[in-house]
Amino acid sequence: MTLDVDRREVFRYLGYRGHEADEKTKMLVEACISELNLAAEPKVVSKELPLVTGEDGWIDGGCFQTKSMNLSKNLGGCGQVLLMAVTLGMGVDRLLMKYGKLQMSKAVVMQAAAAAMIEAYCNALCKAWAEEYEKKGLYLRPRYSPGYGDFSLSCQSMILDGLEAGKRIGITLTDGGLMVPTKSVTAVIGISEKKEPCHVEGCEACGNLDCAYRRSWQ
Amino acid sequence: MNIREELKERRLFFDGGMGSLLQAKGLKPGELPETWNMLHPEIIEQIHVDYLNAGADVVTTNTFGVNRFKYKKEENYSVEEVVTAAVKLAKSATERAGHGYVALDMGPTGKLLVPYGTLEFEDACEVYKEVVRAGAAAGADLVIIETMGDSYELKAAVLAAKEESDLPVFATVTLDEKGKMLTGGNVESVTALLEGLGVDVIGLNCGLGPVQLLPFVENMRAVASIPVMVNPNAGLPRSEGGKTVYDIDADQFAAAMKKIAECGASVLGGCCGTTPEHIAKMHEVCKDVPVPIVEKKDRTVVSSYSHAVEFGGRPVIIGERINPTGKPRFKQALKDHDMAYILNMGVAQQERGADLLDVNVGLPGIDEPAMMVDAVKELQSVLDLPLQIDTANTQAMERAMRIYNGKPLINSVNGKKESMDAVFPLVKKYGGVVVALCLDEDGIPETADGRMAVAKKIYETAAEYGIDKKDILVDALCMAVSSDKNGALTTLETVRRVRDEFGGKTVLGVSNVSFGLPMREHINSTFFLMALQNGLSAAIINPNSEAMMAVYDSFLVLAAMDENCGRYIGVYAEKEAEKKRAKEQAKLAQPAPGTDVGMHAGGNTAAGRGDDGSPLKRSIIRGMAKAAAEAARAALETSDALDIIDREMIPALDEVGKGFEAGTVFLPQLLMSAEAAKAAFAVMKEKMEADGTAQEKRSKIVLATVKGDIHDIGKNIVKVLLENYSFDVIDLGRDVAPEVIVERAIKEHAPIVGLSALMTTTVPAMEETIKLLRKEAPWVKIMVGGAVLTQDYADAIGADGYCKDAMGAVNFAIECEK
Repeated sequence: MTLDVDRREVFRYLGYRGHEADEKTKMLVEACISELNLAAEPKVVSKELPLVTGEDGWIDGGCFQTKSMNLSKNLGGCGQVLLMAVTLGMGVDRLLMKYGKLQMSKAVVMQAAAAAMIEAYCNALCKAWAEEYEKKGLYLRPRYSPGYGDFSLSCQSMILDGLEAGKRIGITLTDGGLMVPTKSVTAVIGISEKKEPCHVEGCEACGNLDCAYRRSWQ
Repeated sequence: MNIREELKERRLFFDGGMGSLLQAKGLKPGELPETWNMLHPEIIEQIHVDYLNAGADVVTTNTFGVNRFKYKKEENYSVEEVVTAAVKLAKSATERAGHGYVALDMGPTGKLLVPYGTLEFEDACEVYKEVVRAGAAAGADLVIIETMGDSYELKAAVLAAKEESDLPVFATVTLDEKGKMLTGGNVESVTALLEGLGVDVIGLNCGLGPVQLLPFVENMRAVASIPVMVNPNAGLPRSEGGKTVYDIDADQFAAAMKKIAECGASVLGGCCGTTPEHIAKMHEVCKDVPVPIVEKKDRTVVSSYSHAVEFGGRPVIIGERINPTGKPRFKQALKDHDMAYILNMGVAQQERGADLLDVNVGLPGIDEPAMMVDAVKELQSVLDLPLQIDTANTQAMERAMRIYNGKPLINSVNGKKESMDAVFPLVKKYGGVVVALCLDEDGIPETADGRMAVAKKIYETAAEYGIDKKDILVDALCMAVSSDKNGALTTLETVRRVRDEFGGKTVLGVSNVSFGLPMREHINSTFFLMALQNGLSAAIINPNSEAMMAVYDSFLVLAAMDENCGRYIGVYAEKEAEKKRAKEQAKLAQPAPGTDVGMHAGGNTAAGRGDDGSPLKRSIIRGMAKAAAEAARAALETSDALDIIDREMIPALDEVGKGFEAGTVFLPQLLMSAEAAKAAFAVMKEKMEADGTAQEKRSKIVLATVKGDIHDIGKNIVKVLLENYSFDVIDLGRDVAPEVIVERAIKEHAPIVGLSALMTTTVPAMEETIKLLRKEAPWVKIMVGGAVLTQDYADAIGADGYCKDAMGAVNFAIECEK
């Protein structure tokens, strides 16, 4: 499967902060993306569940329960959530490990390209879902993942279990709560009857203005 | 009659889904289904009874997710308690129904095994053994291992079942729509693995519906020599109002299962979404489909985690390079435990067309079993080629076979009783194809007749152990033609006759033939061609030898084994083009004095970057590894190695490092420069070793990614740079427990320890490690780094230094030495 990877994102992850890369690195990025396209097997599971919110950021998303002010703000006015888990599969982890052992310059570029690739995959899925829901007069909020803001990482396992992501697309959790394959994402997407066009999402929603990887540096 | 015998006479039916039925009866999201064995035993038992009444011959215990990660006595129930209750309920149901077998159900642990996850192979075995012990004691009739997506975990489960019980073992895997397992295996590779391990029935379950599974069932039937079972889902799942529903009904399911029965599946059942109704209808339409005959397939196959390699068609190339014999640099790598060296050798051979890799790490004075295990683990972590475990040490052989992720090739057994007694039980237990040398207590027979007799004896003895002829590769043995002029002819005759008279497969280590002669490649490649023409199934050769591969690639074309000459053109069209390019580049590479040679890294690099200095300095700054090695060689002709390092290499690295800190050089460039420097260092080192001089190593630094964290990219970057600056890095890898780090720091009396953690969740493990280091190794300076760390955070957990990037680590280490 070929995903349209945003090259600017790859360089951003590599710390270029808007600087133009040299030709040699650009060629390396292209080589890595080609290899990743052969190795990646993007897979997704998703499920729509009823949403109940309460005081102080209490959220019951059907298969996970938590307190998060940030997420509850994101989900304000939504009656359902769409839960998603996606992964690029073990082939990508194998490539990352291979070059981590053999050629670090390629490993770091591969890492950045794979991160951009899973973002591209998530974006493509969310765009398609948004169009699908819009036909039903429903609108999707930006996806929000455990670990963003005060949305606890411990929800990861509940979401994965609720989606049967282990059995169906092979995402496992280590004792430390990390997903393997490492290029995997879980997220919660609010479903609302109201259209709210101006959402701040991703990097711009984050308070760390100093971050070396922040989008729109310059 | 037991189930093994019954299987020969009739088709058996398994039950269907359990989870979906429990949800319908009120199992809540997040609730562990197996707790119902204790909380609602009557519901579980009734489901079993319903399935038995629907025509199922086997019911599956409600133990799919039972393991010590989910069940602990302190938190809910012990594994033993849940399993025992589950088996009892199933048994009680078979008594009520008046028929039926009880299958102890085991699914994935939910953890991924090392190296990609954190569960060790032997720990996975132990997790399953706990379930098997309880299930067997409670009276299960068989073990069903199902929904497996990872061949390595599957192997652990099968070994557990066989080591802890004598029960029949059925094993089924889950495929995606392309026919691949989650970690990459396919029908052929998993069949090779499971038949090798001696399971009774293999098959497919879950993931897909019966319609989608049909072609894969056909594939499996075509390669399997044991009965095949199929337990599909009720079609494909979709989410509807928060519930998972499946897209075909019981009638459609039954109709699709009939096709699977006709395709030769001996055992049928259902998985997610199937109910007693599905099973009843399936039973009704399939019960009269004739029972398939299970033929033994005469296929000689080895496998890796990802694919199988078959002997008998296109001759198989076994790369011989991972073997220290006659290679001083390799011997040194083994002594230094330099796994990257071995890995590079494997990668190079794969790139040159090897189908399999021979792995021999025997060297006096090293712990061969431990080294063999490490080498196999390392190779299978990044390469997908099957391995040939090459050792005379039975312990090394067994340990490697055990942890190997697939069905290996074993090198070797011979006609001596002692050898066969040692090797055959291992092949029987773990599976494998074994190279059989045509020699015995009387030595190597001089004639082909003599070698045939030894081969026959080996075949017969193997059969006594239950090992088929197809799992033997006869090595006709190749003697030096310089000492026996008929040596090659005898070998070739044996190769031909093993094929014609025994219908057997053969292998040869080709290069022995030229021993004692000059320009050995001439003899080797010609003999190789003769052997291929005489029907050789596999050759152990050096795939880096162009002469050997040219013979091989040409042979395939001429013997009609290279469709449309595709392989040949793929290799040699590129080579021809490369030659042309090299010629043109050679022309360009003769610059006028003072001009750049067109190797500019890019227009916008740091001002003047690499425009001055020697070729070596320039190559390092521009990150050109090959050019750097060449420039290093050239520089050594006029200067002393230490001098070159001090005057050219270190300044080059400093320049790149400063550029990185200033934000004009970026991480990939920094690392490309580091790799170029490494290539140049390797040349320097070689020269210094030859001269008997040595560069002084700097301080020892123990590096590790902390317990619970598997992100090691940052640590690996730091390692590359520290090594550039001659630090003696001891890399403990990732997910490393505090005790292990402390123990090593003490053992090496390392002055510096570097710790990496990427996630907020793993920083506590870092803090714990620091505390333990302070207590046990108070002399150690500790540097930390990783995405979530900051100076404040580093201070708070008691580190001596926070490194915001790899250069930060280098600077910290240099400071510590002052």
